[in-house]
Amino acid sequence: MLLTGALLSCGQQRAPQPASVAPPGIAHESHIVAGDVAPEASILRNPHAGDAAVARSGALLFTAMNCDGCHGTNPPGAGWVGPNLGDGRWRYGGADAEVFSSIYYGRPRGMPAFGGALGAEGVWTLVTYLQSLPVPPNVATESWQN
Amino acid sequence: MPATRIAALTWIAVLGCANCAGAVGQTPGPVDGQWTMPAKDYAATRYSPLGEITAQNARSLHPVWTFSTGVLGGHEGQPLVVGDTMYVVTPWPNVLYAFDLTREGYPLKWKYRPEVSANALGVACCDAVNRGAFYADGKIIYNLLDGHTVAVDAHSGRELWKTRIAEVGNGETTTMAPLVVRDRVIVGAAGGEFGIYGWIKGLDLASGRPAWSARNLGPDEEMRARGDTFRPPYDQGTDLGTHSWGNDSWRTGGAPVWGWMSYDPDLDLVYYGTGNASPYNPEQRPGDNKWSASVLARRPGDGSLVWAYQFTPHDNWDYDATGAMVLADLTVGGRPVKALVHFDKNGFAYTLDRASGRVLIAQPFTPLNWAEAVDLASGRPVLNPAKQTGVSRGNVKDICPSLEGGVSPASPPAYSPRTHLFYTATANLCMDYATKHAQHLRGTPFVGVDSPYRGGPGGYLGSFLAWDAARGRKVWENKEPFPNWSGALVTAGDVVFYGTLDGWFKSADARTGRVLSKFKVGSGVVGNPITYRGPDGRQYVAVYAGIGGDWALLAGDTRSDDPADVRAPADYVKDIARYTSQGGIIWIFAL
Repeated sequence: MLLTGALLSCGQQRAPQPASVAPPGIAHESHIVAGDVAPEASILRNPHAGDAAVARSGALLFTAMNCDGCHGTNPPGAGWVGPNLGDGRWRYGGADAEVFSSIYYGRPRGMPAFGGALGAEGVWTLVTYLQSLPVPPNVATESWQN
Repeated sequence: MPATRIAALTWIAVLGCANCAGAVGQTPGPVDGQWTMPAKDYAATRYSPLGEITAQNARSLHPVWTFSTGVLGGHEGQPLVVGDTMYVVTPWPNVLYAFDLTREGYPLKWKYRPEVSANALGVACCDAVNRGAFYADGKIIYNLLDGHTVAVDAHSGRELWKTRIAEVGNGETTTMAPLVVRDRVIVGAAGGEFGIYGWIKGLDLASGRPAWSARNLGPDEEMRARGDTFRPPYDQGTDLGTHSWGNDSWRTGGAPVWGWMSYDPDLDLVYYGTGNASPYNPEQRPGDNKWSASVLARRPGDGSLVWAYQFTPHDNWDYDATGAMVLADLTVGGRPVKALVHFDKNGFAYTLDRASGRVLIAQPFTPLNWAEAVDLASGRPVLNPAKQTGVSRGNVKDICPSLEGGVSPASPPAYSPRTHLFYTATANLCMDYATKHAQHLRGTPFVGVDSPYRGGPGGYLGSFLAWDAARGRKVWENKEPFPNWSGALVTAGDVVFYGTLDGWFKSADARTGRVLSKFKVGSGVVGNPITYRGPDGRQYVAVYAGIGGDWALLAGDTRSDDPADVRAPADYVKDIARYTSQGGIIWIFAL
């Protein structure tokens, strides 16, 4: 259902319009703030945080939208060309808004922008799935003793 | 260059050519102590007539110089040595270094830092590698990862031209080394994991402007296949590149070009292999899927297709055929043959007649079970029905070799006209293969497979071996604890050189395989050793250390540069990260 909607929306996006004043953006809570004066920005929260049913839909989207083609299949999101999404660590931040931004707008190392194809609801569904992935213990240490 | 020096090099070259009766298309010009193209010569032999280093003295080989490229990632490919300058291309961001070999410590003459889009990093399926440059007409010519070919003045380091040849947004990246024939620069693009519409192009050497473009699949007209000149040895009919793809699937069928090219000046044919058919689920593309997983022979001048042979029809296993096509004149069954020898990902070593494309010999060089044999009358593999894949077959277990290949196409072999043997790395891995329906969405992968690996039969994961291509049999084999991802070099001193994934650089007796020297070079070797005569007249051997080139191979845990990306070891190489981590080092060895 989600996928059908997502694919139908392909090609319907409008070109962004130029503006001289920055609109209120999304707050990136992990970023350093110059002079302790934070820019005008909104806090985004995942509306489906912890919802297991949404996470299951997100798992379907994760393969249907070819996320697994870069981020790995075994276990899902274990990393391939793209980074591991199941290690509890995030190249561009792990807050709700940061994961949302990475998927919605893309990132400049080849992560495509899926916001047009998926819409905000589809992206939140993926975020919910990624946040449901179990983080294995001892991520930081790899030992070959015994 | 002083006249005495030229005379000395000419003498060496003449001596060398007395030893290279079996090789074809040697580098034009008198100086044979150089290494001016990726595979040393047009025949792609990676054989050097230099003979100072021998099986008797190689044990005293030791490093004489190193340099950090400043870049981490798979250091595939090889340096060039032209005159007294060594040229090195790094993985993305594709820096070109020019080292002055006449001065102590080999200081840089210049370095060239092109602007290369970081977006290519996420589109290159298998690490941000570069397979090297080609020297021609005073220019160093190579590909940038983001779909550009550049020509740089070999003397000054100035950019002479830059041509966009590929579209990253379509899933195309450019990792292969160009081949220059006369006034044509021949290039192709990777993208078999993105459903590209594979092609090869000929650029004008002087200007970089595209002179011709030819598809590897699709209608005859787009493939530059004309009825009166295209003569495939086993097929008849027109538009094979569309009729062999059900559901018009050729439009996103892959058949990329990311490996090596060779050239026979007498036949005026360029040879290259194509990669896998897209997507990995074969049931989405009924038919043979010509000409994916094939070797194609074209005229360099206008790109016209002369013959094509498909190693793996209807590819079920991601068996790219982008490995090197080595040209050698062999005696097969008592008959002299202009041969083309190819070690395929599918595990067979092929000896073809390079004038016609007919298969003379096809024998396994590494454990395989997807086929019983290759039928020489039809040129087709005799398939094992239990190892065919697709969504309707579910998870098909224990297929050998794995999709990493019996040898990686990134690891080119060598051929010695003295021993009449070919030398190649191997990877002994098997896999399970569970496909799913893949949705083509531009800018995203078009793959659809879960394919965990395990070690193949015999308790070893890779090897380096010598192969008699006139008889289709193995002569000796050095087994290794990890898959072997190195290219090969062989010399007139009857010494072969190769590296290992756990970071050893080795020399061995070309006739017996006995290891003569080994040195731990700081990172796994996935590059290709070269040899050259330095300004002091001595023989040197150069190789890159820098593991990478395939994320599955890397297991991810050999990386330490990204604290936001921590990966577990892979089941089949649990301890590779114990012995190596990423690097980017050029090593030079001498006696």
